[in-house]
Formats: sequence, structure tokens, C-alpha cells
Amino acid sequence: MSQRSISVVKPGLETTVQELPGRIGFLEQGFPVSGPFDAWSFRQANLLVGNDRDTAALECQFLGPTLRFDCNAVVAVTGADMRPSLDGVPVAMWSSHVVRAGQVLALGPAYSGARAYVAISGGVDTPVVLGSRAVFHMAGVGGRALVAEQVLPLGVAGPTTLDAPALTIPEALRPRFATDRRWDIEALAGPNDDWLSPEAVEMFFSSDWAVQAKSNRTGIRLTGPEFGFAHRAIHKNSDHGQEPSNIIDHGYPLGAVNLAGQTPIILVNDAPSTGGFINPFTVASAAFWKLAQAKPGDILRFRRIDRAEAGRLRAELGRVTSPGVTALA
Amino acid sequence: MLHDELRFYPGGDRAIEVELGDGMDFTLNFTVHRLVAAVREARIAAIEDLIPELASFQVNYDPDRISYEDLTAEIARIYARIGAGASGSLPSRLITMPVWYSDDQTAACIEDYRKTYPDKRTDPDLVCEMNGLADRAALARLHSGTEYWVAALGFWPGLCSLLPLRPRARIFAPKYNPPRTWTPKGAIGIGGALTCIYPDRTPGGYQLIGRSPAPIYDGAQRLPAFRDSLALFRAGDRVRFRPVTQEECAQIEAEVAAGRYEHDIVEYQVFSVDRYLDWAKGQGGRG
Repeated sequence: MSQRSISVVKPGLETTVQELPGRIGFLEQGFPVSGPFDAWSFRQANLLVGNDRDTAALECQFLGPTLRFDCNAVVAVTGADMRPSLDGVPVAMWSSHVVRAGQVLALGPAYSGARAYVAISGGVDTPVVLGSRAVFHMAGVGGRALVAEQVLPLGVAGPTTLDAPALTIPEALRPRFATDRRWDIEALAGPNDDWLSPEAVEMFFSSDWAVQAKSNRTGIRLTGPEFGFAHRAIHKNSDHGQEPSNIIDHGYPLGAVNLAGQTPIILVNDAPSTGGFINPFTVASAAFWKLAQAKPGDILRFRRIDRAEAGRLRAELGRVTSPGVTALA
Repeated sequence: MLHDELRFYPGGDRAIEVELGDGMDFTLNFTVHRLVAAVREARIAAIEDLIPELASFQVNYDPDRISYEDLTAEIARIYARIGAGASGSLPSRLITMPVWYSDDQTAACIEDYRKTYPDKRTDPDLVCEMNGLADRAALARLHSGTEYWVAALGFWPGLCSLLPLRPRARIFAPKYNPPRTWTPKGAIGIGGALTCIYPDRTPGGYQLIGRSPAPIYDGAQRLPAFRDSLALFRAGDRVRFRPVTQEECAQIEAEVAAGRYEHDIVEYQVFSVDRYLDWAKGQGGRG
């Protein structure tokens, strides 16, 4: 049997192969976890095409790719609305489609949200590097962003047959994207909230934060009010550094709101593993997908939650991304 | 300085920062690595990643398999069992890195930054001034006159944080504010009391004093030193810097390009923590 594959006609804007759970166990050597930024949309795309929900698929950012199929396959596009078309005919997002060898799937710019996912039956079968196919584009770990004329190998498709009925994700189970460009982001205080003044902690949870254009898979940069610091941030062992937001190098949690000077940067999938700035807050893991879909200029409001509520949100996210959420189209 | 007990700081619902003390010194960092090794040996299935750092470590965990309370209690129990402090011996590789101090590429990088920030003092001169060193030659002598302890890896694949083992060789430098947008691959930087080697062209904030032509990261694993790993260093290795001329730097670069370069790695040494600390005390250091 010949290798199943797709060919890249146009790469889009930094389209990468991503896989869950990402690159686990290598943070201590400086390798980020990577993986899909919006795991909700990613997993639903895989379920639509009959894959295990964590199978390698494509993450498209702001402008999607054009792909030619070299074999028959089932495909689904989820996440940001990139108005997909098959041989020029518009096809629905959040639904499975049968694609014949030779057909071309084209995605455009994101009309709502920022990141779309293209899952293909059998999954993308690029080489596994340090336990994962997830791409860390900036350092070229697991490959880089797609380029024109690249051929992507596909894995062997499961029992899904090409005459299987089309599936969809009911609207109530899809992630809901902000239509007014305002997002409520659940976040927890810590690990270093005690380096800020109590007023600054309050201020963080009651202010509007604008997403800067200089945001990507390493960090979401925010613009907003200035932070005041606690006594310990100003009167400290000189090993921490001179700036109030400097701390002795430490680990960086995924989703941490990292404070470099006065600029908060939310550390996301491809962020540095360690560094010398404080992390006063951390976004709940079940809310990461919203960061993936917020566009430059969108406003984030952070809502303070505790670990118990973060657990409930995780359970809810687990339910809507489990087999059985698909329905006949 | 070690805390009396561990301090736990939750980082969201999937990570915990475990702080052992306050400061950058060998004893504290060694205790971090001992505790991380013991936590790793306990094989707690819910732990996904452990990141040892200078004075703390981070645990990433699956909160659906273990609670924050149970995990912190377990780590505290392990610490109570192994105790604080540094003693014993461990195998420790000694890796010698060639360095062209005050090289052309870091000089160009510094000048590039100074186009935007003309008041920025040139890095090696700033470091000399802050540490009472007569000139760049004195800086190169001091910097290359000690072994370094690989205290942590992170920020970028393979990037290492090095603590000087000779107390008198502790060189201090402030970090860039704002940081640089780029740094030459192989650049040697000083920030706080640490030295780092930049594995690739990355952003950065340490003061640049030279450049090594020997790679410390190789995604393609071409050179023999990278047969088993993409990154050269492991925590607990020791590093020494050997000053080289522009000519030797170019020669090593040619060997690297041809895939022939062999890193200078001594594999047979055992590092005695007790003897090191005795020696450091005699040198007037705090270890």
C-alpha cells in the first residue's frame, strides 16, 4: 500500500503539526510542551474524523493553508472560522467531509477566533521527536511551520469508511467565541501574587487587558494599568536582580501571567520553561483555549477562581471533548 | 540560604513551585537537585515534569490523578526523609568549552542594541567596571579561571545556567532592560551571578562577554557529543572555559561545519561535595 499523504499548496501563516499531550518530560532540558493551543477545538476535529482525540492534526493561525489530498480521506475543520472550501465549494466548519484523492481543501483568513484545526482521518504521521509530533516552530523541534510543496505523510485510517454519514458537533457543545471581542478568563492567584501589593492583585482582576499584536504561541502580551509591588519585591536578596519583578530564575507554569517590568505576558504552549521574572497569576488550564482564540485588540477580563472550580471546568471540558459528542449532520 | 521548611506556591491547577531557599549558591542548588532526584525515584505517576532551578523546582502534575494537598504532603515527606544540606559524591562530567572573549559577533550584537539604546555601556566594559577589573583581559582570566556547576537548564532547549565553583570568580552583572531581541548563537553571557551559553539565536538579557564556536544544542544530532541527547549539558556537569584566538575559533567552526568536531568531555571524574565545600571555605567563599 502506498503512503497516504497531503501536499501543501499554500502554507498559510505559520501552520504547524500539533499533537496531545505534547512534549512531556523535557521541560528540565528547556523544551516547551507545545501541542495545540485550543485543545477543545483540536479534540473535536479529531473525533469528527474518527481519530483518537489526541491524534496529530494541523493548527492554522490567522490565515489557513491550501492542501491537496493525495488519497481519499475524511477531514474536519474546527476552531476559528476560516471559511473552508473543497475545490472552491464552501463546506461547513465543525463537520466531517469525505475528500477524494486530488481534491483541494482551502482555508482563508479567520473571521472569528484566531486558530483553526484541520484533522484528517489517520492523523498526520510526521516523525516523533522526544516523544511527540508537536512542533515547536521557533527552535525547529519536531519540524517547523508548513512550507509550500511540502508533503505531509498520513497515518493509517481507522474503520471509518468513506461512505460513512457526515458528523457534526452540536452547537451547544462547541467552544463559544466572543462576538463583542471581550473574553472572561478564569485565573488563579499565584505562584508569586505575594510579590504584588494587595491593591495590584485586586486591580488585575478588575481591569481590562488588551491583547497586543506582538502575541504568538510563546506568549500573549497584554496592555493595561501599572502594577504596584509588595515590600518583598523591592527589599530582597540582590541575587534576585534589580527590578521589582525580577526573581531568582525559577520554573514557569503553563498559563502563568509573567510580569516582565510592567508588561504582563501570558506564557502559553511554546513559552520558555524557566526565567527570572515573577508569575503573580496563572490562567486555569480549562481556559487556555480562549487565549488561543483571542485576537490582537480583544479585551481580556480575568475572573478569580480557586482550584476546586478549576477542577470543575476541567471536568466540563473533558466531557465536551470525549467520544460521543458527535451527532449526525 | 535554606528555608526551615519547603514553601509551596500553586501555579494554576497543574503546576506547583517548590521553594527550598533564597539565594544563588551551590549548597542550595545541590539540595534542590537531591530533592528532585528523590521525588523522581518515588515514581509518583501523576507527575508529568520536574524542572530543577537555582533555589526551587517546579512540578507539573495531573490534578485528576493526585490532589495539590496530597502531592505537596508527599514532597514534604520525601524532604523530611532525605534532609537538607549537601554531602556525598556524584559522577560529574567536566566539559571544556573554547571561548573567543570579546569576539566580533557579540560586539556587533551589542552595537546593534546601542543603536536604539545609545546610553547602554558596552557589555564587557560594564562588567569590568562593576567587578573592579582592570580590563577585558583581566575579565577573561577571571572568567576562565574556575570550574562552573551546571545548576539548571531552561528558557530555551539546552540553555544552561552556570554557577562558578571558585568563590573569588563570582562575577556580577545586571540584566539588560529592556532585553535584546536577538543574541548570537554560542554567545557567553553574565546575568546576576550566573554565566549562560546561548544555544541558538534567541532573545536574551545577559551581558555578553564572548562566544563559543562549540555548539551546546544540535537538533540534527550530527556531532558525536549529541548522539544520546539534543542538548550537551546535564545538571550536575561541570564546565570550564578555555580562551581561544580568532584563528582557533574559526578552525573549530570549520570542524563543526564538517561534522568532525569532538567536544572536550572528561567522563571519569567523581565530584566530592564535602571536599569541594571544605576547599571553598578555605577560599573565603560561602559555598
